[in-house]
Amino acid sequence: MTPGSSHPDILIVGGGLLGCASAWHLARRGLRVALVEQSQVNAGASGQNAGSLHFQIERRFLEQGEEAASDAARIVSLNRLAIAEWQGLEDMLGRGLDIAMHGGLMVAETEAEMALLAFKVARENALGLPTRLLDADELRARAPCLSPHLAGAAWLAEEGHANPRILAGAFAQQAAREGAVIACGARLTGLAMQADGQYRATIEGLDGLGEVTTPRVLLASGHWSARLAGLLGLNLPLYPVPLMMNVTERGEQVLPFLVQHVGQRLSMKQSEDGNFLIGGGWPSRFRRRADGLPDLDRPGEIVEANLLGNLAVAARVMPGLAARSLLRSWTGTTCISADQLPLVGEVGKAPGLFVAAGGSLFTLGPVLARLLAQTIVDGRPADELALFLPDRFAHLNAFAVLP
Amino acid sequence: MSGARRIEEGVRRPDRVTLRLDGADLAACPGESVLAALVASGARRLRDDREGTARGAFCNMGTCSECTVWVRKGAAAWVRRRACLVPVEADLCVLTHAPEAT
Repeated sequence: MTPGSSHPDILIVGGGLLGCASAWHLARRGLRVALVEQSQVNAGASGQNAGSLHFQIERRFLEQGEEAASDAARIVSLNRLAIAEWQGLEDMLGRGLDIAMHGGLMVAETEAEMALLAFKVARENALGLPTRLLDADELRARAPCLSPHLAGAAWLAEEGHANPRILAGAFAQQAAREGAVIACGARLTGLAMQADGQYRATIEGLDGLGEVTTPRVLLASGHWSARLAGLLGLNLPLYPVPLMMNVTERGEQVLPFLVQHVGQRLSMKQSEDGNFLIGGGWPSRFRRRADGLPDLDRPGEIVEANLLGNLAVAARVMPGLAARSLLRSWTGTTCISADQLPLVGEVGKAPGLFVAAGGSLFTLGPVLARLLAQTIVDGRPADELALFLPDRFAHLNAFAVLP
Repeated sequence: MSGARRIEEGVRRPDRVTLRLDGADLAACPGESVLAALVASGARRLRDDREGTARGAFCNMGTCSECTVWVRKGAAAWVRRRACLVPVEADLCVLTHAPEAT
């Protein structure tokens, strides 16, 4: 850290999408922002995810019955905000971000899956999200590269994909231009609340240990956020989830859409360069530490059965993929909260402590960062964040002792 | 770049065979990699990216896939291969771009 940043208005921990985007919004609003990142900007899940822009209700919410689907449906209104956010992002950041919003298909293979899609589409339409059910013929007309055996799909014109390798960096660059101090290779090793309510953070960096005193801290550190909150004796119900992604060599442009599957784990898209990106939430596996516990600080290992399973689903949906070569598979660690919704906002027990984590935050990241910055500047939560406030888990910190 | 990349002095190599590279004849040593033959011939620019910047082989060990070419042996079908992993042999045809586009 530079000497000028030892008393910032806010210390952001984590140089991923949420951290960098929040840094930009806050710096633009005049706050003195210091951001510490233990590795490099965008080195974690923000740069390793599938880059899907998905606004339909997710498969994982549908597979747990109607009640969870109803919870998830409350996200739909936020998804509508996210659509507008993505549509304006390249102008806002003044550069190309490989954002393609040419539509998304959630496909079905069986009649039972079609029924689930119909249920989902009716719910989305009631909430103002204009998804549309396509039958097999309509689907084939729209996406001739997909398998003729598909029963149909739910279509949403605003879905698509963006390049996760450049987005967080673009925010970081603009944040720095607005005066934010961004320190890479700097790890938060200590965090305490002082008697005056300010936070004292110990940062281990390239120049040794540094101390930062600040009225506000934002944990935007993905699955590490829970461990960092632990430094204050606080509990955040965030659990690490190791996943995998795959990319094929480049091919002729045939798939302008995001493709998901309502009954299988699948996300598939073709990049601007022509590569097919294949994922959808297939797990990798944590390596073990010497003491037998999972090593959360190293990338997971590929599970061969899951690799084959993921590619098999993809090739079944798009038969042409079978002739392509796999270039690379990689793993990354996202996280999941106790109720599957992200934690975004202030932790009531620790005034000035904010969190923005919870997984699946590529699509929602830009809009959540903006709403969180608004929350921090206004000193009260933005209405749109009501669903995500960390204090829905306040009972977990009922026994915390602060400062 | 000139073709003066293959070490000739003090090295004994088998008799050259003839590859077809993008429709032109290219003399190469059997057993060396197709990438080595390409580099020796000066063919280093294997494609342009979407900004028009030249791209070429990077790792020469089967990892980066930047040297992917289309290869056909005799009358067999075209297959995509990493040029650094394919040994040169007689009757090999190599394309640096998709066969449909030729």
